[in-house]
This record gives sequence, C-alpha cells and structure tokens, in this order.
Amino acid sequence: MLKMNNINKIYRTDLVETHALSEFNLNVKEGEFVSVTGPSGSGKTTFLNLAGLLESTSTGTYELDGINVVGLNDKQLSKIRNEKIGFIFQGFNLIPDLNLFENVDVPLRYRGFNSKERKERIENALEQVGLAARMKHLPSQLSGGQQQRVAIARALAGTPRFLLADEPTGNLDSLMARQVMELLEDINKSGTTIVMVTHDPDLARRAERNIQIVDGQVCDFTLYQNNKAATEHAISA
Amino acid sequence: MFFYYLKLAKKSLLQTPITTALMVLAIALGIGVSMNALTLNHVRSANPIPEKSQQLFALQLQTMNKIGTRHTYDDMPMQITYQDAINIQRMSSSTRQVASVKTGFAIQMEDPDFAPILQAARATQSTFFEMFNIEFLYGGSWSKAIDESPDNQVVIAEELNEKLFGGGDNIGKNIYLNQNAYRIVGISKSWNPKPKFYDLNSGQFQRTEQIYVPFSLLPVHEYPSWGNNNGWGPEKIDTYQDKLNSEIMWIQYWVELVNNTEKVDFKHFLSSYVQQQKKLGRFERDDARGTLRNVEEWLEYNEVVGNDSNILVGISFMFLAVCLINTVGLLLAKFLKRAPEIGVRRALGANQAQVFLQHLVEVGVLGLLGGVLGLVIANIGLLILRNQFDGFDVLATMDMSMFIAAPVIAISATILSGLYPAWRVCTTLPSIHLKTQ
Repeated sequence: MLKMNNINKIYRTDLVETHALSEFNLNVKEGEFVSVTGPSGSGKTTFLNLAGLLESTSTGTYELDGINVVGLNDKQLSKIRNEKIGFIFQGFNLIPDLNLFENVDVPLRYRGFNSKERKERIENALEQVGLAARMKHLPSQLSGGQQQRVAIARALAGTPRFLLADEPTGNLDSLMARQVMELLEDINKSGTTIVMVTHDPDLARRAERNIQIVDGQVCDFTLYQNNKAATEHAISA
Repeated sequence: MFFYYLKLAKKSLLQTPITTALMVLAIALGIGVSMNALTLNHVRSANPIPEKSQQLFALQLQTMNKIGTRHTYDDMPMQITYQDAINIQRMSSSTRQVASVKTGFAIQMEDPDFAPILQAARATQSTFFEMFNIEFLYGGSWSKAIDESPDNQVVIAEELNEKLFGGGDNIGKNIYLNQNAYRIVGISKSWNPKPKFYDLNSGQFQRTEQIYVPFSLLPVHEYPSWGNNNGWGPEKIDTYQDKLNSEIMWIQYWVELVNNTEKVDFKHFLSSYVQQQKKLGRFERDDARGTLRNVEEWLEYNEVVGNDSNILVGISFMFLAVCLINTVGLLLAKFLKRAPEIGVRRALGANQAQVFLQHLVEVGVLGLLGGVLGLVIANIGLLILRNQFDGFDVLATMDMSMFIAAPVIAISATILSGLYPAWRVCTTLPSIHLKTQ
C-alpha cells in the first residue's frame, strides 16, 4: 500500500537547512494497522505530511497503492488524496461554521458525486460513528469525542483505502480515546490500511506493528531502547 | 461546484458581517462615483440618431469678413444667416434640407381658466420631421406648401398635448401662441435625442421643444430667437426685416445626403454659391467656403464630449481603484484568517484551482452586492445633479446599458482585485495549518 524508499525531506531557509527525514524507508502492507511513535521533533509529522501528499519529498521514491506519486502535479495529488486517503487529526479539524452533514460532505463534493450518492454516503458514515441523529448540529455543539467521530466519518465517507491518523486521541479523555481506538480497529478489520501517529505507548501497542522514528529515520525499537539506556547510564556515571 | 461555492460564499460573508459590509460599501462607493461620471460621459458621447447619423449634415458657411472671428478651431460659424438659409434652399430645392431656429411662446387656451405657460418652440420646416425621423401620434406635419405660403399651423409634442388637453386626438383644435390662434395639424410622439444634436447652441442636453411652427412664419410674426445671435461687424438693425437681411448668424441648417454622389454634388453647389456671393460683395475672406459635417463629426466639432468629461471619468476610476485597494487588504486579511479551513479542504482533496475558484466566487458575490449598492448610490448622485443643476435632467439619467454595466464593472473589478488574495490563500501550504488549527 505504502512504499517509501530513501526519502529525504530537507527544509531550507536562507540561513538554515534542516533534514527532517533522512534516508527514510518504510513499507506498509495493505490492511495493516501501523502505529508510528517517536520523540518530539523526530520527523513524525513530516512523515505524515509526505505520506498524505500534503508535502513533496526532496529526494527518494514514494509509491502509494501502486502509484509513483513523486513528481505528480497538484491536481493529480489532490485527486489521490481525495480518493485514496482519509485524514484524522488530533485537533479534529472540522470546519466550525458547517454542520456535521456539511463537514462530512466536503471531500465528497470534490469527488464529484451527485447529491443522492453524497447524501447516502454521509448518512452511512455518520450512522457508523453513531451520530446520524445529530447531523444538523454544529461541531461546537458536540463533545471532543463526538467531534473526533465526525472527523472519522468524514474520513470514511469517501471509502478511502488508506487512513492517516495524527494523534487521534490526543485531545480526548481516556474513555473517549478508547471508543475512538475501538472504532479505528473496526475500520481496520473491514480492510482499510491505517497509519497512526501517537505518543501514547498503550495505543501504539494495540496496532499490529509499531514504527519508531528517531532523527528522521525509521529506527529499530530494541536498538533504540538500548542506546537510550546506555546514554542515560553514561550521563549518570 | 459553482452553486456549492456560492453557498460557501454566503456562509463566509455572513460569518463576518462587519468586514463584508465594509468591503461592499467600499466597492459601492467606488462604483457609485465612477458610474456617475461614466453615465454623464456615456450620454454625452451617445449617437443620438444612429440610423441616419451618416446621412445628416450640419451646414456651415464662412460668411464673415477678414476681422470677424468665431470661437471654433477653424473659425467657422456654427450657424448661418437667414438670407443664406433662404438662398440655399431656393437654389438647391431637390435636396432635402431644413432650416430651424429656437423660439418660444406664451401658450393660452380657449378655456379662460387656463393659466398661460411659457414654452420653448422651434420654427422650422415640414422636412424637419422626416429628416429627423420624428413620428406622429396623430396627424402629421404641415404641408410643403405652408413652407412657402405661411399659415398659423402648429405641431405639438405628446407631452404638451397631455399637459394642454390631457392627451387624445386634438387635431384641428386651436391653441394660442403669443395670443395668435394656431391650428394643430400634428401631435408628435415623444422625441428626445441625447445630445440635442440639431441645435447645440442653447444647451447640448436640453429637452427638445414641444411646439413646432412653420419657419415661413418668421417674417410674419417676427419670432424672437431664443438661441444665439452671432454678429461679427457693425450693422444697422432697426426692424425685424433688417435682421432677416443682416449678416447675423442665428439659423441652424441641416442637409440630408444619402450617398456620396449627392454629397459631392452638394459640395459643388456650395462652392458655386460661395463664389456667387463673393461676386455680390459678401464672403470677403480668402478661405470663404461651406462645410458639411455629419452628426458624429458635428458632435465632435462642438466638443460635446470634452476633455474635462474624460478626465472626470479617469479620476472617478482612480477613486474606484483606491476603494478596491482597500478591499484587497480586507480580502487578504479575511482569506488568510481562513487558511486553516483551506488546509483542511486541501487535505480532503481540494486542488489549488478549486480553492482559487471558491474564493473568486466569493469575491464575485461581493462585487455583485457592491455593484447593486453602487447603482443605488450612483442614482442618488444623478438625482442630486438633476435637482441641483439646469440641463441635467436628460444628461444625468442612467440608461439600460449603464444599469447593466454597473454590476459587470463591479464584479470584474472586484474579481481583479481578489486575484491576489485568492492566489495567496490557495498557494498556502496546507500542512502548516493542519497541525496548528
């Protein structure tokens, strides 16, 4: 589903050159549920932006669902984002002046579905997250957990093959977080590939596979822990 | 997607009502002022008789002596003398032509309760109505015979017929002009060319006269001229007959020439007429000649659309530009504030062109609102002009083309000013706002 080979992402300003990802390699199979963890500034967000085609790589190759996406123009990338990728953000990112129906409608509008099909998809998606009865409500009238469920409904309405979740439970209490996580697991069971960035080790463990990013590279988790312990020991000594 | 963008535009504009109101007001003020100037310019530069403007020619004659002068760029008088009008008409009777002069009367009716009204009139010939395509509600012009053998006949305009009789067919009835009875032979339909090309001497945009009397009655009733009387040398004028025989130029003269052959022939005739008059001791100047100018040339010659009018339009559009620059600033602030939402839309599949278009539609709606309000402001401005200044009742009136032009200009100008803000927001990197929202 997702193949990244030797990806480099460099941010340049007049004075500074920052290597956000270096020789980054990752392969995510179709139907997998992968969690991505790592310390702050390690490159998780950069990875997510590249994976979601929100930014372009400096060098390297990236194939998404068999399509080499490096070098595609904005229109082509937007189409892939719209058809193949669903986004779930930590801050929900619902549009505040649109009601739930209209929020879920946003990606479907760009997809070009007719009004009947859009309506069906929106109702199904909101049904799936248990919010069908509140589709005329504004996001501000919902709790955080409900807002995140709307965001998930919005991500699901276009039936994407690949779901990118950035700290999906970061702004939720533990009960809400558990509900959202269960929802994601259900979605994954139905065949959708999920890559989830999280700081929460418990959530990361619930994924099939955990990837650790350190200093812009995918890191072997065991090696990382040993290095960390050795470094801490050396400092204390 | 267009209707979706319209829906989003409505939501967006209502979401920030004060900013929206400020932008609409800025656009409306700019449009209102520029449409005022443009309307005045448009009416000034309109072709008042497009179907015949290439066939109707104003006649000018250089009849002055060497010291006489007129304030035209070629020193040609705008009007001709009565004697030349009569001479030319008699010597070239096969050509359709008309002499006319503005005059006026106190109108009275047989009804003793009717209070007399003072009304401008035109002494002219029967060809006037045919040449200038004036239609009749009832009756018609007096006959050609009356142009030779004067009789108290009159054509009144539809508006005056309403005023005097309350409308209807009043052919054969009498009205009293300066206490003389005139029989109504025709009631003309409303006719109001803008500019009043056939006589630009006394108000280029005044309303047309409501009364037409035979030119042949000039010597009989000694109608005063309500227009310009241009003399260029000392003359002893004690009687009306002296005026008719004088070198005073006070008659407007038009000729209808339907093709080039007729035009060439008439020019030859004019040359021979000038030579003949020279032999009689008139037309002393070396450059004595006759000229013909069609309607458009005549309006240009008379500087109906002067430089001041064009400068006014220029200044008003500069004001519109200032208003739009203010709008650009407001739009930029509004759009960039919305960048996080755009980041979400981009993540969900909107491409840059779609985001750009969404914002241009919103800008277009703003332009439309500004255009409509601008029309209201423009019409209030024109109303003030009409009420405050004489002669602006025709000039300061918006026609259909201006009504359509206002929103078109407003939308186009606003979209133009919205290009940069829309481009800025659509090229913003979405990932920046997704994390920070």
